[in-house]
This record gives sequence, structure tokens and C-alpha cells, in this order.
Amino acid sequence: MIALSKVDVVDSLSVWRRNSRVYLRLWKTEMIAPVIEPVFTFFAFGFGVGALVTSQIQGMSYLAFVGAGVLAFTVLMRVIFEVTYGAYFRMVYQSTYDAILATPVNAESLAFGEILWAVTKGVIDSIFILPLIVIFGAASSAFTPLAIIPLVLGCIFLAGLGLALTAHVFEIDHFNIFFAIFFSTIFLCGAWFPVELLPRWLQIIAYAIPTTSVIDLTRAFLTGNFAGRHWIEFFYVVAAALICLEWALKSVRKRMVV
Amino acid sequence: MRSDWIIEAKNLKKYYGNFCAVGGISFDIAAGETFAILGENGAGKSTTMRMIACRSPISEGNLTVNGYTVGADDRKIRSVLGVVPQENNLDPDLNVLENLIVYSRYFRIPYEAALERSRKLLDFIRLSEKAKAKVDSLSGGMKRRLVIARALIHEPSILLLDEPTTGLDPNVRQEIWEKIDDLRSERKITVVLSTHYMDEAEKLSGRLIVLANGKIAATGHPAELIRSRVGKFALEVREAKGVPLANVDHSITAVSRGSLHIYFGENTDELAKLMPQYGSRPMILRPSNLEDVFLGVIAS
Repeated sequence: MIALSKVDVVDSLSVWRRNSRVYLRLWKTEMIAPVIEPVFTFFAFGFGVGALVTSQIQGMSYLAFVGAGVLAFTVLMRVIFEVTYGAYFRMVYQSTYDAILATPVNAESLAFGEILWAVTKGVIDSIFILPLIVIFGAASSAFTPLAIIPLVLGCIFLAGLGLALTAHVFEIDHFNIFFAIFFSTIFLCGAWFPVELLPRWLQIIAYAIPTTSVIDLTRAFLTGNFAGRHWIEFFYVVAAALICLEWALKSVRKRMVV
Repeated sequence: MRSDWIIEAKNLKKYYGNFCAVGGISFDIAAGETFAILGENGAGKSTTMRMIACRSPISEGNLTVNGYTVGADDRKIRSVLGVVPQENNLDPDLNVLENLIVYSRYFRIPYEAALERSRKLLDFIRLSEKAKAKVDSLSGGMKRRLVIARALIHEPSILLLDEPTTGLDPNVRQEIWEKIDDLRSERKITVVLSTHYMDEAEKLSGRLIVLANGKIAATGHPAELIRSRVGKFALEVREAKGVPLANVDHSITAVSRGSLHIYFGENTDELAKLMPQYGSRPMILRPSNLEDVFLGVIAS
């Protein structure tokens, strides 16, 4: 049976509201981070590395190229932390999941609420960062606000993947392996340089990782350079998001309902 | 079969892999009753509680709560159950009042009603002044009371208390018992509690089952069990290591446990006759209690 069909959205929203309440209590610290990080990433990659890169990349300056990378990297990181350490604390140390599962809320609605919240955090960050991208001159297209679409899909994909892995983690240090893989792959995914510069076999690996498509689609919206491959990437990310979402829901039930 | 059974378990089993945590138990709990599940750690108490709360899928058998079948109508069951888990799982990210308000949403209680109920409940557990306090700043007893209040936010008809006073000070235990008593008299709520404290079961419960290794070892009212299992009185002799048990006739039961000898009988005179042969060893002649039954049941 499809776990997604067991989700009760009203229940998920109750879980979402629990998390948003905690977030709003800490809003000052929560909202400073998404501004500081991308600013310094821009300093580092846009100006620092960018000064070394004199050639045009895909017909644009390095700063314009790297905008999508900065945006996607910051937003996806936020999501990853929320569904790994954040969710792990609620699941294991605080027994918040246990408390919620004693109410009519089922495991699927709980997991969906957690993912919904992680995605919301990603969206909030995107709203903060998008103007920065424009200020830094890294977004030139009128479609820029629509970059939120691939970002949301990417957030669902990584929130699902992260929560599913969290549900399989029994030792918090095991996240180190996950983060090692995550950080290694994000360097392949076309955030800081075009995937085409990689050797052929690494390109194949890079394109297999849905994050690559997320970043490429985000770049398309920021720069207005659309191509046929973007449709394939779009459906690939949608499929990855749905699969990981379903996997997360199933994994949380398996972990919590024994 | 009575029509007012609110919980009915038939041949209930729970396996974790090959391990059998609950090995086919049957019991019925009447509406308004206080029912205790007694047993040592690992006897299957919490597993049974978790199955009633629809938190742990049942492996075999049949379990109905409030007329609904566990495994099929879980949502309906959970909406009439108040659960007090063994470990306090209050939300440390929220304050005392928020803990109740946020929890009320999971039961879809409108905000105004939730606020009113929360205030009443805080009053009931005498924590009104701590409404804005952080959960971590509360004492153990306060946390426990708050968990109980949280379990009552949706006015459940059944309250599940999993080891409600384990690890609490004696005076805090009294306080919790008092609250449970208030609840029973004011709300006619059905209470199911698991415990390994005999005094708790004796004080609170109308009927009980004793679990040992996932099976029911004894069942009945505390007084009835004491009468049928061990006799009214007990003579307890300490530091009796190396001394053989006294020869007694069939009206008295003799038990030795380490350096302890215990004799159970129907009247004190008979038991008092045994005292001289122990000389100056410390001894006490007392009414039998549930602990005697429990230890007897577990030993057999």
C-alpha cells in the first residue's frame, strides 16, 4: 500500500505548526543564518574564485553562473540539517514523535508534517536569499522568482531522503557518513563549476544525482537560458522527490511502530 | 459476556522477531474500572499497554477498545485514549502551557476550547503559576503531573498509565495517586495502569493481572488474591540463613527466600507459635500483602 495515501494533511499541518511555533520563538537566530551564509559564499566563490575565472561559462560570467549554486547549496543544506539532526533530536532525544504517535496522528502524517516543515524552512531561506542573488548581480532573468519551483522539488527530494536515512540511524555519529557523502556529491552537482568539465564517467554519476538537475533548473530560471534537457531534469527531480517522500513515510513507520 | 467491557483482549500475542514478549493473554476491563497490570521488568506490561494504545501492532489475537478493533480503527481508539508513557516525553522546545495547546491540535480541539481546558488542567495539577515556565525547569513530580494533564486534554474515556510513579519520591508518589483518585471520582474515567509497585496496585486498582514472562500468572481483586494465594497473615523472619524451615501443618505455607523465611497463615496465633524457635532473630508478624502474592506467583 502506498504510504502517501495514509497521510492526513490536517494532522500533518498540526505537526508543521508545532515546528513553526518553535521556529518563531527562535526567529532571530533562525533568520540570521540564511542571510549570513550566502553573503559569505558569494564573497568566497563569486569574488574570490570568480576573480580567477576570466572565461565565460555557458555564455555568462562566473558570478552569474555561481548564483544558482549559492542559492541551492544554502537552501538544501538547511533542509538536510532539519531532517537529520533536527528530526533525530525530536525522534530520539526528546521523544516528540512518541508523544505525537499517542494521539490520532499516524506515522505517515507525522513524517509528512516533518518534511513539509523542512521544505517550508527551505522556502523561507529562498525568499531571503533571492534578493541577495539579485543584488549581487547573479540573477538577470524575469523568471528569477520561479526558481522556487526546482528548489521546492529539491527540498522535497532531500527532506525525504534525509528523513528516511534518519529513521535508519541508531547512532547520531552515523550522520557523519551521510554528510561526507552529501558534501562530496554536492561538489559534483554543478553548483560551483559546470558538470561538463568533469571526466565523462564522473558526469554520468553527477547527472544521476537529482541535486544536479535541481541546480541546473534553478540556474535556468535565474539566467533565463532554457533548453530541452530541462524538461527531462524536471521530471527526474519530481520522480526522485516522490520516491524519497514515499520512502521516508515508510521508514518512519518502520522505525516508530514496532 | 458483560456488555460494558471497554477493553477486551483475547489470546493477545506479541513477537519481536523470534522473541515472544506477550504470549497469549486474555483479559477484560469494565468501563469506569481501575485495572492494574502487574509484573517485573520485561514481563510484558509496557508491550501490552502499547498494544492497547495502538502504538505496537499485535502479532496474534484480538483486541478491542471502546468497541473498536485495534489494527483497524486505530484513529478512533486513539482519540478516546489518554496515554501517560513510562518516560516523560514533554516537549522541551515549548513552555508548560504550549505543551498542552500544541498537543490539543493533534486531537483537533479548537484553540479557544483548548486554552480553557489547558487552564483548568493546570489548575487541577496546581501548575497555573508555571504556565510560561520551561519544561526543563520543572521538578520530576511537576513533569509527571503535566504529562498526566496533557493526556487529559481531549477528555478521554480511558487513561493508560504506564508505570506512573516509577522513579519518583515517596511524597510525589502520594501526590500522583491523589490526582488519579480525583480523576476516578470526578470523571468516571477508566484507568489502566501498569506497575511493579505492589502498594500502587493495591491502593489504586479494583482488579489486576500479574504478568510473568508474557503470560498471566494470576488475576483477581487484590484482597481476593491475597486471601486465595497466601492467607491473611505473614510471619517474616530475617537473618535466618542456615536455619531449616519449621515443620508446619497444611494450614500454613512456608517459603524461604535467601536469608528470609516467610510463613503464611489464616490466624496470628498459629503463626506466633513458630516464633520461639527463631530466638532473637528479627521478625515481624503482619497482614499479608500483594507483594507476597506477587513474589509467590513469580517464584512458581
